[in-house]
Amino acid sequence: MLGIADYFWRLLPGNPILLRVVQTAGKKRRDAIIRCGYLGLLVVMVTWILSTSGTSYGSSDLAALTKDSALIFQYMSYLQLALVALLSPVFTAGAITQERDSQTYDILLATPLTNGQIVLGSLLSRVFFVVALLVSGIPIFSITQIFGGVAIKSIFYSFLIAASTALVTGAMAMAMAIATLKVGTRRTIFSFYLFIVIYLVGFYLLDSVDFMHLHYVDAAGNPHTTQTSWLTGLHPFLALRVIFNDANYLPPNLADLPGRWQSWPYSWYWTSPATFYFSFMLIASVALVLPSILLLRRMAQSTSGFKNWVLQKIHIGGGATRKPRSVWYNPIAWREARTKASAGRASFLRYGFILLGLSGSILLLTMHATEGSPHQFISSGYDATRNMLFIDGDTRQDLAVSPYVQVKIGDRDGTTDDLNGRYEVKDFTLGPGNSISQINLRDFPRRLDSEQTRTWLLGVTILEFSVILLIITNAAASTVTREKEDGTLDLLLSTPITSRYYIWGKLRGLVSFVLPLLAVPVVSCFLFIAHDLLRWLAEGDSRFQWIVFPEALLMMPSMLIIVCAFAAILGMQMSLRCRTTVRAVMSSVGIIVGACALLGWCGNGILNSRSAIPELSVGAAVFSPFTMLTLLIDPYDFGGRAYDPLIPDADPEGARVTALVMCIVVLCVYALLVWSMYKSMVKNFDMTIRKQSR
Amino acid sequence: MAVVIKTVNLTKRYGTLVALSNLNLQISEGDCFGFIGPNGAGKTTTIKILATLLQPTWGEARVCDYVVGYQSRSIRPLIGYVPDYFGAYEDMVVQEYLEFFAAAYNINGPQRTKIVNDVLELTDLGYKRDAAVDGLSRGMKQRLSIARVLVHDPKVLLLDEPAGNLDPRARIEMRELLKELRRMGKTILISSHILPELADLCNTVGIIEQGELLYSGPVADIVRKASGGTIVHVGVTRAPEQAAALLSQNPSVDSVAAHNGFIKVCLKAGISDFSFIPAQLIGAGFAVNLLREEEVNLETAFMRLTKGIVQ
Repeated sequence: MLGIADYFWRLLPGNPILLRVVQTAGKKRRDAIIRCGYLGLLVVMVTWILSTSGTSYGSSDLAALTKDSALIFQYMSYLQLALVALLSPVFTAGAITQERDSQTYDILLATPLTNGQIVLGSLLSRVFFVVALLVSGIPIFSITQIFGGVAIKSIFYSFLIAASTALVTGAMAMAMAIATLKVGTRRTIFSFYLFIVIYLVGFYLLDSVDFMHLHYVDAAGNPHTTQTSWLTGLHPFLALRVIFNDANYLPPNLADLPGRWQSWPYSWYWTSPATFYFSFMLIASVALVLPSILLLRRMAQSTSGFKNWVLQKIHIGGGATRKPRSVWYNPIAWREARTKASAGRASFLRYGFILLGLSGSILLLTMHATEGSPHQFISSGYDATRNMLFIDGDTRQDLAVSPYVQVKIGDRDGTTDDLNGRYEVKDFTLGPGNSISQINLRDFPRRLDSEQTRTWLLGVTILEFSVILLIITNAAASTVTREKEDGTLDLLLSTPITSRYYIWGKLRGLVSFVLPLLAVPVVSCFLFIAHDLLRWLAEGDSRFQWIVFPEALLMMPSMLIIVCAFAAILGMQMSLRCRTTVRAVMSSVGIIVGACALLGWCGNGILNSRSAIPELSVGAAVFSPFTMLTLLIDPYDFGGRAYDPLIPDADPEGARVTALVMCIVVLCVYALLVWSMYKSMVKNFDMTIRKQSR
Repeated sequence: MAVVIKTVNLTKRYGTLVALSNLNLQISEGDCFGFIGPNGAGKTTTIKILATLLQPTWGEARVCDYVVGYQSRSIRPLIGYVPDYFGAYEDMVVQEYLEFFAAAYNINGPQRTKIVNDVLELTDLGYKRDAAVDGLSRGMKQRLSIARVLVHDPKVLLLDEPAGNLDPRARIEMRELLKELRRMGKTILISSHILPELADLCNTVGIIEQGELLYSGPVADIVRKASGGTIVHVGVTRAPEQAAALLSQNPSVDSVAAHNGFIKVCLKAGISDFSFIPAQLIGAGFAVNLLREEEVNLETAFMRLTKGIVQ
C-alpha cells in the first residue's frame, strides 16, 4: 500500500520536474509581468463596463445592476478564454523540446524517473502557469456576485472551459513533441500557434454555416434548425456562449430533438455543449497523454521519425542527397526563396496550402455554376392543350391550371407561356376545381447563389491572405535572429556582402517565397472572373452582376504583394533588433495583426459612415488590404453606401473607378513606406549588429 | 617578407571585462601562425576583430595594410574566416553551400562552377557534392568549412580551432590539408589547443593569456626561451640524496633536487654538455641506471609560460 501511495506521491505532488517549476514560477519577473498584465486587463474591462453603463452606475436599480453584472461576467469570460487560448500554446509548446534544446532531455531519460513522471511533470508544470493565472482572476470574477445575475455554476463552467482548453493544448503539444521531437523549438512554436488560431477562427466561422446545424421537423410538422451546431461542443468560445443563455444561441431541448438524437451521447452533446466540451477535452487530454507516457522512451530511442518517413515517401525533404540547384546571383535572396521553400515541412505546408486553396475555389465555383435541387420545380411540364402542369421535385404531381391563373416570376408578372420554362415553384394556390389559380415562380436556384458565393469567396480570400501574412511575418521575423543564433550571420558578415545587398536579398527572397501562395487568392478570383465573363458572353443577361470585379486582377496582386513586402520588412526590422527569434516573431506578429485589425476596423468604419462622401470613403478604405478585398468581392454587403442599391445617389461604377485610382496611390504609399524602412535598416544594420555582439 | 597581419595596442573590452589588452602582433606573408592560450584568453576575440566582425575598443588592427573598421570592405575579399562552429544552412547540399558563398564573393557564371569543382577536389569532397550539409560528419563539415573559405582564393586564412572535436583521422587529414594550403603560400592564423600539431604545422606561434600576449615568435625560439637551462634526470641504485649532494658541488650545476629515488639536475644557462654527471657519479661509487635530458616542446613551453588563469 505504501508503495502505491509513494508512486502516486512521486507522480504528482512530489514530482521533481513539477516541483522545480512550481517553486521557481513565482520568482520569475516575466511571469509576474504577464500576471499583472492579465489582471490589469480584467480590471480595466470591469471599470470600463461599469463606467460606460450609465443606467446602473450609481443607480439603485437592482435589475439594471444585475444586467450589468451579467455583461461584466460575459466580457470577462471571453477575455479570460481569449488570453488562455493565446497564452497556452506559447507556454505549453516547449514542454519536452525545451529540455531537448538545452540538452537535458537525455540526462532526464537516463534518471530513474518514470515516463509518467517526466510526461506529467513537464505537462503540468507548463499548464501550472496558465492555471495560476486563472486562479488569480477569481477575486475579480467575484465582483459579479455583488450585484447578482450570474449563477455560480456559470462561473464554474467558465473556468472549467478555460482550464480544459489550456490542458488539451498542453497535451497536444506534448504528444506532438514526443512523436516528432520538433514542436516547441523556435521554429515550430509559430506553426503550433497558427494551428490553434486556425482551429479557433475556422470552427467559429463554420458554425455560422447552415449545414453545421441540425434540421428537424417537430411533431406539428414545423421545420426547425438548431441555434447551436455540431461544432459547439468542440469549440471553447461557442461552448462558452452557451452558458451565457444568449437568446440567439440556445441549445435545443431534449424533447424537441428527433428520436435518433435523443439517445446518449448525442442528447448530452446537443443539450449541454458546455459540459460536453470540458469533459471531452479532459478525456482527449488523457487520451493524448497516455500514448506519450507509454512511448516516451521508445520514441526517444528511435532513430528515424514518423515525419521523415512520410516526407521521404512523398519525395519531399528528408533525403540525404539530391541534385544541387543553381544559386542565384544574389545568394541571400536565393536562400530565402528556394531553400526555405524546399525544406520538407515548408514544402508540405506550401503545397498543402496551394492545393487546399485552389480546391476550395474550384468547389465554390462548381457550386455556384451548377443548379441546385429545389423541393418543387417546373421544367417544360406544361401541357397547354389539357391545361395541366407537371410539378417535379420532392412531391411529383400533375395539377390542372386555371385559365385565369396569375403567374408571378420573382417580382414581375408572367404568363402561362412562362410555365414551360425552367423555374423553381415558390408556392401556388389551388382554386375551384383543384386547379392552380396563382403560382409564384423564381429563377432556378444555383447550389450557391451569388450572395452566398461572394460571402464565401471573401471569407476564404481573407483567410488565405491572413495566413500568408502570418507566414511571411514569421519567416521575416526569424530570418536574421536565426542566423544570429546559429552563427551563420558571422560567416556572411566576413564576406564582401554589404548590408544593402543582404537586406535587399532577404526582402526579395521573402517576397518570392510567398508569391506562389499569393497566387492562390488571385487565381481563385480569376476563375470567377473568367466564369462570369463566359456566362455574360453566352447569356447576355442585362441583370448580370460580377462575383468579383475584373479590376481585381490588377489591384489584388499588386496590393497583396506590397503589403507582404511591408510585413516582410517590418518582420526583418524586429528580427534585427531582437536578440531571440521568439521575441522577434511575437512582436512582429503582434504589430502586423494590430495594424491590420486597426486598418480593417477604420476602413470598415469609413465605408459604413453615414456622414462621409461615398466615393471618398471607398478611397480611404483601399488603404487596408482587407477592406480592399471586400470592395472587390462583396461590395454589396460590405461596401457601404457607395454600392447600396437602395440609396438613390449611389454610384457603384464611380466607386469602382475611385477604388482603382486610389489603389495606385496606396501602392505608392506602401512602396514608400517599405523603401524608407529598408533604407533605415541598411543605415543602422552595422551599428545594431555591432551593439548586439558586445 | 611583407607583414600581412599587424595589431598595435589592440584592446577589446566587453563592459568591465578586458578581453584583449594592448595586443601587438605581426604575422608575415606565408607564415603559419599558431595562436595558443587557455579558454577565454582572447584568441577568438582577436580572430573576430581581424575577420571584421568586431570593432576594437581601441588600438589598431591591419590586414594586408587595410585598417579593420575603416577599410573592412577591402579586407573581406582577402580573408577566409572559419569560426569554431560550423554555420550550417538546412536543406542545402555541399555544392549549393559552396556556390552560395561563391556568389557572396561575387563569383558567378561558369567561373563559379569551375572554382567550386576545384575546391571540392582540393579538399577531397568531390564525392560528397550532392550530400546534404547538415547530414555530414563533423570532420566532413570542418573540411567543408575550409573549402568554403577557399572559393575566393583569400590571401589570409583565419581559423578558429578548426580541429576541435575531430577524431584522430579527421585531425590528421585536416593538418595535411592546412600544410598543403601553406605550401600554396597562404598566410594562416590558426588557434588550437592541440599543441603538438601546431608545433608541426606552424612556423611562428603566439601565446596569449588574459588578453595579453606573453610571447610571439618562431616555435624554436619559444622552446629555447621556455627551457631556460638544460635539465637532466638521473637515476642511481642507492642513496640518491648523497648523489644529489655530490652533484650540487659541481660548478656547471645550477640546482639539484632528489625526489622519489631520482635526481633532477638543472645545469647553468649556456651549458648543454652533461657528460660530467655519470663520470662524477661513477667515480664516487654510484651505479647510474638512468640518464635522460628533459625534452622541452611547445606543450612544456606553454605550461611554463602561462599561469592557467582563465577569465
